[in-house]
Amino acid sequence: MSSHAGTIDHHHDPSTSTGIPNKKLLMWAFLASDCMFFGTLIATHLIYRLHPPAGNPSPKEIFAPALTSFSTFVLLMSSLMMALAVNGIQKGNLKSTRWSLIMTIICGSIFLGCQVYEFTEFVEVKKMTLSNSILGSTFFTLTGTHGTHVAIGVLWLVLMYVRSFKPAANTGTSAWFVKGLAHVAVFATVIVSSILALAHGAEHMAVGGETIGGALGHEIVPIVIAITGLAILGWFARDRGPVDFGQANAVDVESMGLYWHFVDIVWIVIFTAVYLLEFL
Amino acid sequence: MDATIKSSFTDKGSAVSNRPALLWRPTAKTGLMSWLTTVDHKRIGFLYGIFALFFFIVGGIEALFIRLQLAVPNNDVLTAEQYNTMFTMHGTTMIFLAVMPLSAAFFNYIMPLQIGARDVAFPRLNAFSLWTFLVGAIIINLGWFMKDGAPDAGWVGYAPLTSKTFNADHSIDMWVMGLQLLGVASIAASLNFIVTIINLRAPGMTMMRLPVFVWMTLVTAFLIILSFPAITIALVEVMMDRLFSTNFFEVSHGGMPILWQHLFWVFGHPEVYILILPAMGIISEILPCFSRKPLYGYPIVVFSGASIGFLGFAVWSHHMFTTGMGTVATAAFAMATMCIAVPTGVKIFNWIGTLWGGHLKMRTPMMFALGFIWMFMIGGFSGVMHAAAPADAQQQDSYFVIAHFHYVLIGGSMFALLAGIHYWFPLMFGRVVDEFWGKVSFWVIFAGFNITFFPLHFVGLNGMPRRTFTYDSNLGWNAPNQIATVGAFILAAGIGIYFTLMIYSYFKGQKVGRDHWDGRTLEWSIPNPPPEYNFKVIPQVHARDAFWYEKHNQAEIAAEKASLAKAEAEHGGIHMPFQSIWPLFCSVGLLVGAIGVSVMDHDPRPGFWGTKIAVTIIGGVILFFSAYMWALEGNEGYHLHADEDDDKGHGGKAHH
Amino acid sequence: MHSPFPSRFFRPVSQILAFASLILLSGCDLNFWKMQGHQTTMIANGPVAASQLSLFWVTVWVTLVIFIIVGAVLAYATIKFKARSDADEHAEPPPQGHGNPMVEIALIAASVFALVIISIPTLKGIWYTHDVPEAQKADAYNITATGYQWWFKFDYPEKIDGGAGLVTGNELVIPVGRPIRIQLRTVDVIHSFWVPKLAGKVDMIPNRGNFLWLQADAPGYFWGQCAEYCGDSHAVMRFRVVALAPMEFAAWVAAQKAPARNVAAAAGAAPGPRPQLATFKQNEYGYSEKWADGSPINPLQNWVDQQKPAATEDAALIAEGKALFGTKLCLACHTIRGHGAPGIAGPDLTHVGSRTTVAGGLLENTPAQLARWIAHPELVKPGNKMYASGYVPMNIKVADAEAVALAAYLTSLK
Ligand code: HEA
Ligand code: HEA
Ligand code: HEC
Ligand code: CUA
Ligand SMILES: [Cu+2]
Repeated sequence: MSSHAGTIDHHHDPSTSTGIPNKKLLMWAFLASDCMFFGTLIATHLIYRLHPPAGNPSPKEIFAPALTSFSTFVLLMSSLMMALAVNGIQKGNLKSTRWSLIMTIICGSIFLGCQVYEFTEFVEVKKMTLSNSILGSTFFTLTGTHGTHVAIGVLWLVLMYVRSFKPAANTGTSAWFVKGLAHVAVFATVIVSSILALAHGAEHMAVGGETIGGALGHEIVPIVIAITGLAILGWFARDRGPVDFGQANAVDVESMGLYWHFVDIVWIVIFTAVYLLEFL
Repeated sequence: MDATIKSSFTDKGSAVSNRPALLWRPTAKTGLMSWLTTVDHKRIGFLYGIFALFFFIVGGIEALFIRLQLAVPNNDVLTAEQYNTMFTMHGTTMIFLAVMPLSAAFFNYIMPLQIGARDVAFPRLNAFSLWTFLVGAIIINLGWFMKDGAPDAGWVGYAPLTSKTFNADHSIDMWVMGLQLLGVASIAASLNFIVTIINLRAPGMTMMRLPVFVWMTLVTAFLIILSFPAITIALVEVMMDRLFSTNFFEVSHGGMPILWQHLFWVFGHPEVYILILPAMGIISEILPCFSRKPLYGYPIVVFSGASIGFLGFAVWSHHMFTTGMGTVATAAFAMATMCIAVPTGVKIFNWIGTLWGGHLKMRTPMMFALGFIWMFMIGGFSGVMHAAAPADAQQQDSYFVIAHFHYVLIGGSMFALLAGIHYWFPLMFGRVVDEFWGKVSFWVIFAGFNITFFPLHFVGLNGMPRRTFTYDSNLGWNAPNQIATVGAFILAAGIGIYFTLMIYSYFKGQKVGRDHWDGRTLEWSIPNPPPEYNFKVIPQVHARDAFWYEKHNQAEIAAEKASLAKAEAEHGGIHMPFQSIWPLFCSVGLLVGAIGVSVMDHDPRPGFWGTKIAVTIIGGVILFFSAYMWALEGNEGYHLHADEDDDKGHGGKAHH
Repeated sequence: MHSPFPSRFFRPVSQILAFASLILLSGCDLNFWKMQGHQTTMIANGPVAASQLSLFWVTVWVTLVIFIIVGAVLAYATIKFKARSDADEHAEPPPQGHGNPMVEIALIAASVFALVIISIPTLKGIWYTHDVPEAQKADAYNITATGYQWWFKFDYPEKIDGGAGLVTGNELVIPVGRPIRIQLRTVDVIHSFWVPKLAGKVDMIPNRGNFLWLQADAPGYFWGQCAEYCGDSHAVMRFRVVALAPMEFAAWVAAQKAPARNVAAAAGAAPGPRPQLATFKQNEYGYSEKWADGSPINPLQNWVDQQKPAATEDAALIAEGKALFGTKLCLACHTIRGHGAPGIAGPDLTHVGSRTTVAGGLLENTPAQLARWIAHPELVKPGNKMYASGYVPMNIKVADAEAVALAAYLTSLK
């Protein structure tokens, strides 16, 4: 029943009645539930779309389909990366797994950056806020909830990435705990500051009409922070002997992958129902 | 558990002592710490039960205040505001804090035993559900101790009565936040049960051999994970309206309060089946046991349960017949609602079929079960009367509805849950409840219940609207209200007897051995009270009423057990998960965060220095940190070797 | 363990219970099961209510028949198969039968059949009660009812001098024999419009244009009540419907269109002896159904009488009240056409004296009850929007004596 690490079939867990690992089943059931969460939010949006009160801004004038198409594409690519990560860990290829995780994180962060930019633009330029119109209420709540899902997903990916460095055996868990936390913290700082730098830079370009160089010039502090952070990350990632992470954790990565793919699929639905629908 | 693959189970002593201080795992088996860190489904189930019964009494006392106020016309025991708070809290408490968690208590305690499992699939998640439920209950009830008072917008909280304009104080915030947390708890628990039932069945326990109670647990769990999101989002929308001035239900910006009703009832109707299906499951266990016959038409009972759950999603608007939905929608929902009478009727018929030709042993659980059939039928029939939409235009929001749903909720859910407590008492505590006083409690409850709620049909048809703190004496409502109030006190006396009896039996009840009732399902095959690992050997299941089969094929089973035991011993013994403190801490984080969101006043200081934001963030940090530790400590466990006489040690002297 | 004494114990217990309930019941009016109250749904005085009531009886009969059959079988099985002795209980178990598909199918078919019997009149009823039948559409009389916390406003189609529409509050007067189509609106939360003897309820929901129709077959006086929980005083948000023959209705409309009545006081005349304000308890009953001599009041006749000015009017007191109505800023919220009161936050009081109830159908419109309401509205209707710790706009207080004068003035507005 146990410790046949070499021959484990990733889709079959002999300790369960169905052979499906518990974690995977849990994730499937959770996603069914999450479908209903998003279903309700999307329904709310669509209902109010059909009953716009007087003075509601016109979505056509607000949405920028080009940018959103780009971020949608990036998110789709992240799904591909996620699939590669799952594939990697199933084959026990730790290196490939880590790189794929990093790529997924980057794609997810770009998506989030686009959303930060989009939100700021809507609020500051197009003057649509959470409270001044029903469109603002439903739009920000729906896409914000999705963004939160993506953010949680990114956090999870980061944790999984960091976990892949956990040293083997029980040696010095306290030390690992501190290092792990530091690792996570640096990662989070890099992500947040690059998202902010990108989103604000884009704002300077779009609104202030500045050049790339000029726009990024305003964001010098976060850029420096991000680059320093990357360097630290690189240092953290150097090879230091056997780790407690491998094929046996395939189910963990796979469950996370299910979540990630689901969040992407939901975005496709939102993209269609919220954005594209307005331009039909 | 996945951990078994990694084989991180080690011998208990060494594993715990070798761990770094940071990943300390509690090992206390007795005392407060053992309860706070428990991951044992039986202990968790027991705690669910205790909390639920406590809130049942709280809700009952609220009901008594309601009845007291209505005992005579133009009464002023309570002010209007107090009365409105009372019925809001009564409904909310009874549904979310009494009946649901009491059902959850049985899911937790009984279901794993019935499928031959040693625990649920995610023991720590299970603990988290328990504590989060408690946290939600605390938040909802906090208002009693604050100047803002407890919530008073009705248990259905119709917009725009819940908006800042019409309800400026924090009571609604607490109601919203409390329900959110209860939703988290219920969904987490249900995911756990779904995985447990699908994945942790003993070998041979095919889906069509599952005890009906397990089936109903499964259906209920699906109803919960699919219906709670609707109310969660609706509550998010209310919360956004209140905190960030969004316009979901803000009429002046085009918000539509009717949307709240749809979202609420998309959840609300499945919710009433969430309340009744576990009860039906319990009844389907008790009747065969005390008839000494298998359940009549097992597959069709299972199937009808599933179709009730399924249809339950298609009828929500029957609570909205008076909202001007238009003819077609009204007709569609009326027809769909009536359809539910068919699978429900099927259950009733099959229960009667179970009795037919049996040897009925009239013990107290059986009395409650039979009472259930009668009372539920009456409640179901008034439900069908509601389903006739034009007639419902006269009944909606009148006391006729109150009568309908108390028949299905008390005569249905509560009767079955009380039956269940009585039925499984010998299993849980190794002692039996006295028959004589059990029957007394049944009859007093039965009489009190009918005296309370039967007259309310009449007063409803006579035009008395619900949620009214006073009424005039010239409307013909005096007598039935007076009778109902007297009945409510008889009912309270009955429940008082019942509880006293349970407490007495817990300490002084006659000790009995295993299988007190000559049961049919696996939970009766183990000693009582059950050892923490449940089954010394995971049973091999050969038939639907697995234990009945075992009892009637003893030789074959004994040989099989021996060989299974040997295999398990070779494998290293019984896997037990470690206890953990982090689920509790996660819930504490939720508590702090929820207090920040719903209780603290806004204050003008910016950012972190505003108390509201600070408290919320602190809660979030506790939550995140605890979840991180939870993940880090991992789902490891230890091995345990059940010694031979462990079996007898628990059970008192053998019976039969 | 067996209880050795079921019957020995349970017989006395049931006797005690039966006896207790007898005592209990003897104190009450046991006719409640006939359901003949003012607000009963068991008496239909119009076609909509009649259609709903007849459907209700269909559901009752169908379910009652099922209940009797199923109940009989259940009772029979319980008695017949009960284990009677210890030996019985430990006998060989009965045959372990698992069910019979034919029985199941037959029972399902029977249930479906029963439901069909209910659904046919249900469907008919849904379409019939939804809106005025095509044939009568042209004849329908359109009124708008608006819910406020916690009273009703009624807008009539009649225009006053071709200008503003006729507005009343809390008592809806309708013509007999004509379908009435009522638009349902609300200015705040959800309310529900319910006159049980005329029609089932339909909700007044913000941002939603609901309506219902009803018709009174004969002249009458009908009780109504808000049926959707709408906050503190939901319980006392009531109203009345008065159905009049066409001629009387036309006369009433004409009278209502007129501006408010003036009672001229002789110059410098002092008010006569001022009636004392009676003391009232919270929630005290505010409606009488018997005249002082004990004879029952015919509410419709009472309403007709109420249209005429009382014989004994104290013109000076009325003048005092009229003045107070301005100085206490009542006019900020109430309209009294012709008396310069323009407010619209509260009910139109132009002809308040001609109604039989005030405070949203809660109190009988006698000078005493009216003065009670004006002196202490917060004790009558908790949370009402007129009075918080004083009259709302400027926290104005009204002394008892002033309330009496105001009551006299308002009573004079026929
Ligand atoms: C345990 C909870 C429970 C259960 C099981 C039910 C069961 C049913 N309910 Fe009930 N209901 C509530 C709890 C429940 N209800 C609550 C809490 C409310 C009020 C909420 C609020 O407003 O606060 C409510 C309100 C409610 C309404 C709205 C009333 C209104 O506000 O106007 C309606 C309308 O259709 C309705 C219908 C039904 C029907 C048709 C069933 C059916 O499932 C019943 C089916 C059972 C039978 C019919 C009996 C047995 C069958 C046979 C013996 C077969 C043969 C019978 C026939 C062919 C008729 N219910
Ligand atoms: C499962 C759900 C449930 C249960 C069990 C009950 C139980 C009871 N309910 Fe409840 N009720 C609801 C769900 C429930 N109710 C809901 C959802 C509403 C609608 C709310 C709304 O409109 O928003 C409602 C509304 C409601 C009303 C209408 C209020 C109104 O509309 O104005 C009334 C009035 O009679 C009432 C009465 C009762 C009574 C007398 C009981 C009794 O059965 C209670 C009996 C229990 C006790 C009395 C326990 C007390 C025991 C003791 C005191 C023992 C001694 C103590 C110790 C041993 C420590 N209920
Ligand atoms: C803040 C606005 C406001 C002011 C000022 C006000 N009223 Fe009112 N009035 C109301 C409202 C609102 C109602 C309906 C209350 C209810 O039934 O819940 C009402 C109801 C009444 C009624 C009952 C009408 C009916 O048909 O039921 C009377 C009579 C009345 N007011 C008289 C007065 C008098 C006299 C004063 C001055 C002393 C006064 N009002 C000042 C708002 C006001
Ligand atoms: Cu208005 Cu209730
Ligand atoms: Cu329902």
